Amino acid sequence: MDVFPALLGVLSDPVLLGWVLLAAVVGMIVGAIPGLTASAAIAMLLPLTFYMEPLPALAFLYVIGKSGRYGGSIAAILFNTPGTAASAATQLDGYPLARQGKASKAMKVATISSVIGDFTGEILLIVGVAWIATIALKLGPPELFTVYFAAFIVIGSVIGKSVTRGLASAALGVLVAMIGLDPISSTERFTFGSFDLTNGIGLVPLMIGIFVLGEVFAQIEERGKMTEMVQNGNDAARNTLTWAEYKPCLPHVARSSFIGAFIGMLPGLGSAIAAFVAYGEGKRRAKNPEAWGKGALEGVAAPEAANNAVSGPSMAPLLTLGIPGSTIGAILIGVFLIHGIQIGPTMFLTSRDLVYALFACGLIGIVFYGLIGYFGAAFVGRFITRIPTKVLYPVIFLTSFVAAYTSRGNLFDVYVMVAAGFAGWAMRKLDFNPAAFVISFVLAGGAEETFRQALLLSDNGLMIFVTRPVALLFLLIGVTALVMRVRSLNRQSRAPHMETAQ
Amino acid sequence: MTSGPSPAPRVVGVALVLLGISATATSMGISLDQYGRWGARFFPLAGSIALILLGLMELRNAPATSAVERKHLPAIAALLILSVAYVWMISALGYLVATALAAPAALWVFGVRSAAGLGAAALLCSIAYHLVFFKLLGVFPPLGRYFDLLDVIGGY
Repeated sequence: MDVFPALLGVLSDPVLLGWVLLAAVVGMIVGAIPGLTASAAIAMLLPLTFYMEPLPALAFLYVIGKSGRYGGSIAAILFNTPGTAASAATQLDGYPLARQGKASKAMKVATISSVIGDFTGEILLIVGVAWIATIALKLGPPELFTVYFAAFIVIGSVIGKSVTRGLASAALGVLVAMIGLDPISSTERFTFGSFDLTNGIGLVPLMIGIFVLGEVFAQIEERGKMTEMVQNGNDAARNTLTWAEYKPCLPHVARSSFIGAFIGMLPGLGSAIAAFVAYGEGKRRAKNPEAWGKGALEGVAAPEAANNAVSGPSMAPLLTLGIPGSTIGAILIGVFLIHGIQIGPTMFLTSRDLVYALFACGLIGIVFYGLIGYFGAAFVGRFITRIPTKVLYPVIFLTSFVAAYTSRGNLFDVYVMVAAGFAGWAMRKLDFNPAAFVISFVLAGGAEETFRQALLLSDNGLMIFVTRPVALLFLLIGVTALVMRVRSLNRQSRAPHMETAQ
Repeated sequence: MTSGPSPAPRVVGVALVLLGISATATSMGISLDQYGRWGARFFPLAGSIALILLGLMELRNAPATSAVERKHLPAIAALLILSVAYVWMISALGYLVATALAAPAALWVFGVRSAAGLGAAALLCSIAYHLVFFKLLGVFPPLGRYFDLLDVIGGY
């Protein structure tokens, strides 16, 4: 097991541990601030990590992602505002518990469940990732292209309210990625005679625009709203968590951890879906379903375990195939690229030590945020209520400009960031899918390369994608996901009409 | 201004179709490779045609969208104008002066009205960002085309 020497290596490096601890604190605070997400924080801090060694840089951002997912539960329970989309399910039972004066108890359940879920996901990643990479090494360009194709379809169609707008977001991401010189023939594409565009659109300014500046635009609508924390009192009896109270949560935590880990492996689905699936499944199997939604501890434990279990496995498609399973994964690609690390199955041959050291940092990060959260979640909550958003968002606004410039030292990138920021806000407003846009932007280069390589290998043109069994399987997965999603949306849209008719 | 749902569904469909058509036309202008194959043209064309098809589907089966609160549009427009102006000012006047002007403007848009606070932001933000990014990280600062305070104070 490569992870044990890696763990020893990380534990013996105080500077690296310091970065992991800082990331745990930063992620928790950012995740707990309503409206601000771990993705935004990572995108904004990404250029800073270009000046760090690869492992501290990756570990810092990776642990922010983990801790940020957990931090959302603080806002959901203490402020009745989910800090992240994933923690909206936690809010269903977390806030009623807080109203009953049991906020600390709910936070302890959320913390323990998050830690168990995150550990489960991380261990599954550590155990399974090298095996997946071995299989991935055997895939040829036709199979890889169909994996990309399935990822485009799943990412575009599964998240969000509208399948057409989700897929359009993915198509727009592909088109924006095509701007610049064709990497094979150096033909200009969509450059419109602009020299700046021949270098293509940078990943970092695009992500800072979509996730950071776009959020600042969105927060304009929330100006003047105060974050208020529920009063918890000092009732120790209500807020002490006993083993007898947590024991009924354990089956939900175990099931939800595996649900989260499975969903995490599928590109694009993410924590929010995992949390709601786990909540629904938990309520269906619960002995006390009538208590769910009114302040059941199990109703906090299930979504939190699933939400955090996504974190580790969502790295699997990124590390083994170069396909980011989440927006955080897409952002981490920037770090890998800037440090010259080739992601994909060969990474386990060329940078094996780095990968396992990153996993070790992830495990230590979970312990850090677990300890800070268990003993200090209320303090973090109080700290956040003191941050004036009318100062915070202008500071984030200014930081996004300098961060976008820093990535390549180019003012054109800052214009790109501004355009992406406005586009990100408009996409959110019009129910497009910014995550699908960014992930497709990242995937497009690899997809095109494998597509063209596959056609060069083929004697029958496009038929190569249906005559090779593994390629056909992934094509069918993509099409099936799309059909199932359309049918599910049709059923949902028909349901209210039927209720009205009755 | 009144709040209300935007006429987004049809507009979105039409916009997607128009964007797809113009991207298709542009894609068809991408040069073929030396063997006359569509290599560099294929993906842009596929993305463009996908946009047209999705736009048509959107027009046929447009879902309801979230309402855009029109009362916030002036503030959003102000922030957009400030964003573009800020980048232009960086290129014209350098980072320090541009940030000293943009920081209070951004705070103003977000509702800060304290003159002391706005003045402090102008000074502190410029200095803090300059120190962190251009001194500590060693990034070369964007210099102003017409004027740059760094020329005056020699702060490179």
